[in-house]
Amino acid sequence: MIKVQDVSFTYKDETHPALEGINLEVPEGGFLGIIGPAGAGKTTLARAVAGIIPHHYTGDFYGSITVNGLDTVDSSLIDLSRLVGIVFQDVESQIISPMVEDELLYGLENFGVPREEIPERMEDALRRVGIPELRDRSISSLSGGQRQKVAIASVIALKPRVLVMDEPTGELDPRSSRQVFSLLKSLNEDLGITVIVIEQKIMLLCEFARQLAVMNEGKIVRAGHTREVLVHAEELEALGVNCPRVTTLSRLLAVKTGLELPPCVDLDTAERMVRGLMI
Amino acid sequence: MNNLFQYVPGNSLIHRLNPVSKLLLTVVICIAAFITDHIAVLLALLALDVLIGVTAGIAGRTWSILRGLLKIAAFLFLLQVLLIRGGTPVFWIITDLGLLNAAKVVLRLTVVCLPLALVLAVTRISDLTNALVQVLHVPYRYAFTLATAIRFIPQFLEEMSGIMEAQTARGVAFDQARGLKKFSMILPLCAPLLISSVRRTDQTAVAAEVRGFALRTRASAYKRYPFTRVDNAAVVFCAALLAAAILI
Ligand SMILES: Nc1ncnc2c1ncn2[C@@H]1O[C@H](COP(=O)(O)OP(=O)(O)OP(=O)(O)O)[C@@H](O)[C@H]1O
Ligand SMILES: [Mg+2]
Repeated sequence: MIKVQDVSFTYKDETHPALEGINLEVPEGGFLGIIGPAGAGKTTLARAVAGIIPHHYTGDFYGSITVNGLDTVDSSLIDLSRLVGIVFQDVESQIISPMVEDELLYGLENFGVPREEIPERMEDALRRVGIPELRDRSISSLSGGQRQKVAIASVIALKPRVLVMDEPTGELDPRSSRQVFSLLKSLNEDLGITVIVIEQKIMLLCEFARQLAVMNEGKIVRAGHTREVLVHAEELEALGVNCPRVTTLSRLLAVKTGLELPPCVDLDTAERMVRGLMI
Repeated sequence: MNNLFQYVPGNSLIHRLNPVSKLLLTVVICIAAFITDHIAVLLALLALDVLIGVTAGIAGRTWSILRGLLKIAAFLFLLQVLLIRGGTPVFWIITDLGLLNAAKVVLRLTVVCLPLALVLAVTRISDLTNALVQVLHVPYRYAFTLATAIRFIPQFLEEMSGIMEAQTARGVAFDQARGLKKFSMILPLCAPLLISSVRRTDQTAVAAEVRGFALRTRASAYKRYPFTRVDNAAVVFCAALLAAAILI
């Protein structure tokens, strides 16, 4: 679905590249998590996948990105945006309208969704995100988390094939963060939407993402299946990325016992492993 | 101050008017206020403003806008009274002509500002832009610019007060300063605020772009804004108002 090949990008008037030699592939229906310290280039990569780079932010772009066969440089931003929905890190600036309802209408109207389909699409999006009661509220009366959900609803109402989320849980408490990831999971599994999510809470990524990419200083330092990446837990910790405690525990156990133990990402497998060791 | 520009939901006659009619009414009131030279007409227009506010069920909002305007008005009044020289002296350097003209200036200001603020209170910004595009054929990009500017006012004020609070916590005494002094303290804060706003609006532009901004046409809006009989009546009323202002 998404193929990133040797992509490097330097923002205009900057000396350092924000992305350097990025290679990445996400299959249709995939669920990729991206993690890395501040300034690693995560947002830049998200912009590139959505075609905002190089169409809006200009600079030196090398390599190629294709989304569902469309080359992001050759295709127009309009064609790409029919395919890729993106929710920005700064939700405040993502929201265009002063009212919730208008925010959802905006994209639906512009992309020419038939009139008779619009009410249903709006209700469906609000219901999926769990905020049907907020429909007639003004944005300024909502909390940060509620705004986050409105932004997500306004994007999924457009039924994109790919959904890119830049730190969607930045403003959310742990419970709402989980809700957002459960939502992503259902979009991914029920509707087959390919999901790319940038996230700092590693526990959530371990649980929900099938693929993980670790970024640092514009490069991808590790990528692969979530479990494979977690094998290199000490590498992640060196970058300042916290690993789940169970993973650290299983790694320490492997080191201490000298046994070949697979890394655990959730409590259940950890429990099974420990029980297995004690027999 | 923050919510002075915000939409107040409602279903009054005024709310239900076509946004274009509301704009027309606002503009006609402003024009009438500038054409007329009679204090009685200005007072009548002020009464009309207040009547509109009350009919729309936002008497409270109308009152708080008036109160806000009153401070500026008082200052202007004083300035005018002291500066206008003609006429017969009433008291010290104050003349009857000075008093009359000052009153007119102040009334005019109030009559013009009040409906401009009220129209935002009774119209959703999206309805305003949609109707401008649909009915008046205003190019969408201009309507969008207007809407975005209005939408960012509360946010701008919110950030401003945030910065002022932060500065106050560092010992800057905003609350003790008045008038020009306060203004000169706030001014340096505007630059960083402006920069962050520009960055924000740029992001908002991208957000609009990836949701089909360029595809939007006159026919895009889901809602329709037909001109009803009430709107026709409003247009007739506006014409009459304008004629009265010219003739009287
Ligand atoms: N619009 C821009 N213009 C110029 N340089 C930029 C722009 N946006 C980001 N950069 C630079 O690109 C580099 C990568 O930034 P990016 O925002 O992609 O990082 P990030 O991984 O998303 O960080 P964070 O976790 O803080 O969101 C940084 O050095 C940053 O200063
Ligand atoms: Mg970022």
